[in-house]
Amino acid sequence: MNLKFQNKRISGILTVLPSKEMAFEDNIHNYNFLPQQSLKLKKVMGYDKHRVFEDNVCTSDVCVYGLEYLFDKNLLKKDDIDALLLLTQSPDYLMPPTSSVIQGRLGLKQDMLCMDIMQGCASFEVGLITAFSLLEQDAIKKVVLLNADILSKKVSKRDRNSYPLIGDAASVTIIEKEPDGQAIYANIKMDGTNCNALMIPAGGLRMPSTAETAVLAEDENGNFRALDHLVMKGDAVFNFVQTEVPPMIESLMAFAGFDIELVDYFMFHQPNKFMLQKLADKMKVPREKMPCNIVENFGNASGVTVPTAITFNLGEQLIDNSYMMCLAGFGVGLTWSSILMRVGNLDFCKMIDYL
Amino acid sequence: MNEFYEKLAEILEVDEVHDDDIITDFDQWDSLSALSVIAMFDSDYGITISAEELVNHKTVGALNSFLNNNLK
Repeated sequence: MNLKFQNKRISGILTVLPSKEMAFEDNIHNYNFLPQQSLKLKKVMGYDKHRVFEDNVCTSDVCVYGLEYLFDKNLLKKDDIDALLLLTQSPDYLMPPTSSVIQGRLGLKQDMLCMDIMQGCASFEVGLITAFSLLEQDAIKKVVLLNADILSKKVSKRDRNSYPLIGDAASVTIIEKEPDGQAIYANIKMDGTNCNALMIPAGGLRMPSTAETAVLAEDENGNFRALDHLVMKGDAVFNFVQTEVPPMIESLMAFAGFDIELVDYFMFHQPNKFMLQKLADKMKVPREKMPCNIVENFGNASGVTVPTAITFNLGEQLIDNSYMMCLAGFGVGLTWSSILMRVGNLDFCKMIDYL
Repeated sequence: MNEFYEKLAEILEVDEVHDDDIITDFDQWDSLSALSVIAMFDSDYGITISAEELVNHKTVGALNSFLNNNLK
């Protein structure tokens, strides 16, 4: 589905990262593989460090921390927030919405909209598309988009398939009206028939968590996980990404009537370095235009990898400059989405540690 | 050895592979080498193969036939 928006802009991006850093080697003894096998995995997939929150930290804590930072620095005013969107797969509770929890904790005004949306790898794009749509309303002048995931608690430490790459993070993105803004082009597709390619089987109503769903079992590849844990079909996800993403970007450029060579940066979701480099090569995009250094430095925090890639690789450069960016997310759902827009002249673009 | 066999041997870290070699019997066979083979099929030949299909072909020779039957 093609979508077009007018007169909107991103005015600031803040990424909040855990201060606790782990090295790949810290967990190597948990895996049911010889150390040299695991070190080969590290090299091929491009794993190194990753960051996870302490056990008692929840999604609302990190979002409140980021928003309070912006209030304290006078980068955002409480009363200016007309909509608070939270995209997460790790809510504080099944009910109420975590966005309502955040609104209450911060004492935000009542005359606003709070909304939780469950999305994973494509959560930055789905969040932006939703924010742009809300800004069509006269009453909504500023949207705060929160992307947050703390999935490290849901990944088995003995799952070499997922644990080395998992990261936790949150980001706060401000989206507002811009009278002289350029057109923004987007597209999105969904395939729920493959919804089990990335899933946490137990813990919802279909399969409530019990003592049995917490029992670790070995899969055919030698990884141990429980039904309470995230499970990823690595080969299916790889093939999905390589098959669907290049035509999606081609279709976006055709829709926008834009030459792909004029895109300054491809800020894509980062499952791992291996997959992203294969994708860049297949799309014939120079690797330097598609940063792929987030997983090796911070881990894969689902959709938060996109704002993290922007704040980590460009940071303050985006205060005085602007670039044509192609943003893309692909994964859980399955959902895949991309956006072509100019990003820059931001009020702030930085990353902070959660302390 | 043809090019495909050479690439397979490199991923499996052996000097050469033969038609009747069982893929899953190689010492270096694991989920990482499976993904490497899947990626090689995709990037070098434009063919999508799942981990299950890969294992179901059992031998190097059968995998080579699958490749030749799917080349455009």
